[in-house]
Amino acid sequence: MNTSLIRVSVWIYLAIFFAYLLGPLVIMSATAFNSPAFPSATPWECLTFDWFSALFQDARILNGIKNSLIIGAGTVVLSVLMGLAGALLLTQIWPKLRATYYTIIIAPILIPGVVLGISTLVFWDRVNRMLGLGPDSALSSGLFLTVIGQSTFIASYCMLVLVARLQRYDVALTEAALDLGATHAQAFRKVLLPFMRPAIASSAVLAFLASFENYNTTTFTFGEYPTLTIELAQKVRYGISPAISSLAFIIVVLTVFAALANEALIRRRELVAAARRKATVAELTGGLKLPGFLSGNTAAVLLVVMGIGTVVVLGTAATYRPDQCIADVREQKRLEAEKRAEELRARRDAERKEKSTAEPAAPAPSTGAGNNSGSFGNVFNPGTLQDGATTPAPDAQGSTGSGGNSGFGGVFDPNALQGSGN
Amino acid sequence: MPRFLKDFLNRNGTGPGLVMLGLVLFWTVGLIILPQLSMLDFSFRPNLPPPEMGGPKDVYTLENYKYLVYGPEGGSQAYNAVDLMVFFRTLVAAVCVTVFNLVLCYPIAYYLGQTKGNHIRVLALMLIIPYWINEILRAFALRIIFGETGVLNTILTGAGLFDTPFDFIRNDYALYAGLGYAYILLMIFPIYNVIESLDHNQIEAARDLGAPWWRIHWRVVIPYAKPGISSGCTMVFMLSAGALAAPQILGGPSSLWFTQLIYQQFNDSSDWPQGAAYAVVLLVTCVLLVLGAMRLFKVNMGDIGK
Repeated sequence: MNTSLIRVSVWIYLAIFFAYLLGPLVIMSATAFNSPAFPSATPWECLTFDWFSALFQDARILNGIKNSLIIGAGTVVLSVLMGLAGALLLTQIWPKLRATYYTIIIAPILIPGVVLGISTLVFWDRVNRMLGLGPDSALSSGLFLTVIGQSTFIASYCMLVLVARLQRYDVALTEAALDLGATHAQAFRKVLLPFMRPAIASSAVLAFLASFENYNTTTFTFGEYPTLTIELAQKVRYGISPAISSLAFIIVVLTVFAALANEALIRRRELVAAARRKATVAELTGGLKLPGFLSGNTAAVLLVVMGIGTVVVLGTAATYRPDQCIADVREQKRLEAEKRAEELRARRDAERKEKSTAEPAAPAPSTGAGNNSGSFGNVFNPGTLQDGATTPAPDAQGSTGSGGNSGFGGVFDPNALQGSGN
Repeated sequence: MPRFLKDFLNRNGTGPGLVMLGLVLFWTVGLIILPQLSMLDFSFRPNLPPPEMGGPKDVYTLENYKYLVYGPEGGSQAYNAVDLMVFFRTLVAAVCVTVFNLVLCYPIAYYLGQTKGNHIRVLALMLIIPYWINEILRAFALRIIFGETGVLNTILTGAGLFDTPFDFIRNDYALYAGLGYAYILLMIFPIYNVIESLDHNQIEAARDLGAPWWRIHWRVVIPYAKPGISSGCTMVFMLSAGALAAPQILGGPSSLWFTQLIYQQFNDSSDWPQGAAYAVVLLVTCVLLVLGAMRLFKVNMGDIGK
């Protein structure tokens, strides 16, 4: 096969793949700025920032964030501690036990989250009863159960991250410290811990993110303390709103910020290291001129651009009022709906004329299905047309067939707007 | 005191050693083993109100498992057709999602692992960012796209492919797309990690010896990447069989996922032993399927999770 053809097809594949990966997030973010009450990117109506203020006025969401932060902090502490202990033990456990031990501590990653949640709930409920404590004891509180349930598997993630770093640790360092008279605790704190610090930091971040977004386990254990994810799930399941999109947009922006900042720092460190390596002795002694934060650092440039963009958007949001546009769109929809109602009326008038001439020849049974004949009867009453509740009878069967349309709210039903427009 | 314990405490110091052992025991025994055993035990008991627990009625029974197979006692049907259907559908769909993800992700992982250049970092970053977004929000994003008045339907009807909007949610396409979407990263990273360590010279050598591209993959890359492929597949399969958020948000109203049945047992009918029994069935079946697949493709347990 031709190499340029392969290259083109690789790029096309990459483009499709990343469209699948990022497209939904982009579209969801767009819906946060569109005015219809049902989140949609098309048709675009008005730019609005109202969904963000709706989000920040939602007490349940704010309470969820608070609970998530508390639970996240607890989970980070517990799972990093257990993960570190687990990793240390893994490096020095008796070889025959090693495989079994590894299987046990890696298993929580593979056990479905639902199962972990249930087993935590059932087990601590039993412990609680055995200790003779009431249903409102600390052991059956949602906070405790959620932290315990999440830590069960998050500790395994931490363990994997920590063990990767621990494998590069030279035990001779600890031995040297001990020989020089340090106690075991001192050797641990002053030698091993500084070496492990980067891995501990990244496992803590990982643990926090995993805890923050966990749903499957938490949904069984949260009790009186719903986390943000639980609140979101309940909102999404029972009626969705662009306020959720605006929360998603905020999370996306924060994520991109964090990723870019991290990238910029790494790149900066690389540049500094490269400059040191290339520098002559004279330069090193005479004060090395390091590259600026932005030079040769695409991630940093992007970071600054995004920062400026955020400030601009916030500034616009503070002054921008989309009321005029929303009113315009509503007016336009009302006109459209009226036009359509007018057309319907004209069509029905024509039909009625046709019917009234045909009626004597072919009497009533032509209407078919029983419950439809009722609405068919209403068609002849021009008064019902005003509130737009009925469609012409011949179409009625078709539109009930395609069903769900109405399930997505009357927003796109032009007739529904007529009521609010008037 | 046993010898190895003494050695262990000598090596780590008594204080730090005991703290370490305590933490590990709490984790392995208190959080992993005992809760699972407790759930297993619970699943064999009848559903009793708390005061009667431990009383004379609290005996071991197979009732909860019988319920999954035969349905309620004296029911009209010989088998519990609804729950069994949901169970098998969940497993089959999870396998399909796994295969779909493997086919989708293998080329990407290969490309990322074997290509050098700055753009690889950018692509990796773009891969990770969606994974940091909440699972619920990702499902929500897909729901916006697949909805009746969503972007996809607008495009398809606009292009004249469909006359009326197609109901992706009722037909479960949204669910499968959502499950695949949720676990892409878990498939890519294990495969990428392995392929990255494959010496490019091996591929060059195969090419020089005249192998066509598909044979290079079949005979060189895939055998080498087998541990990564198997751990990616295991994770995606277990997670999608145990998924709860995506089916709740993206599933059609008439079709259930097995985890949703468990959820209902716990939250709606508050029949905990029944729910525990279903959870045990799900866990055991999934583990057996994974072990069977590993035997079939000759993969070791130790390769998983690397």
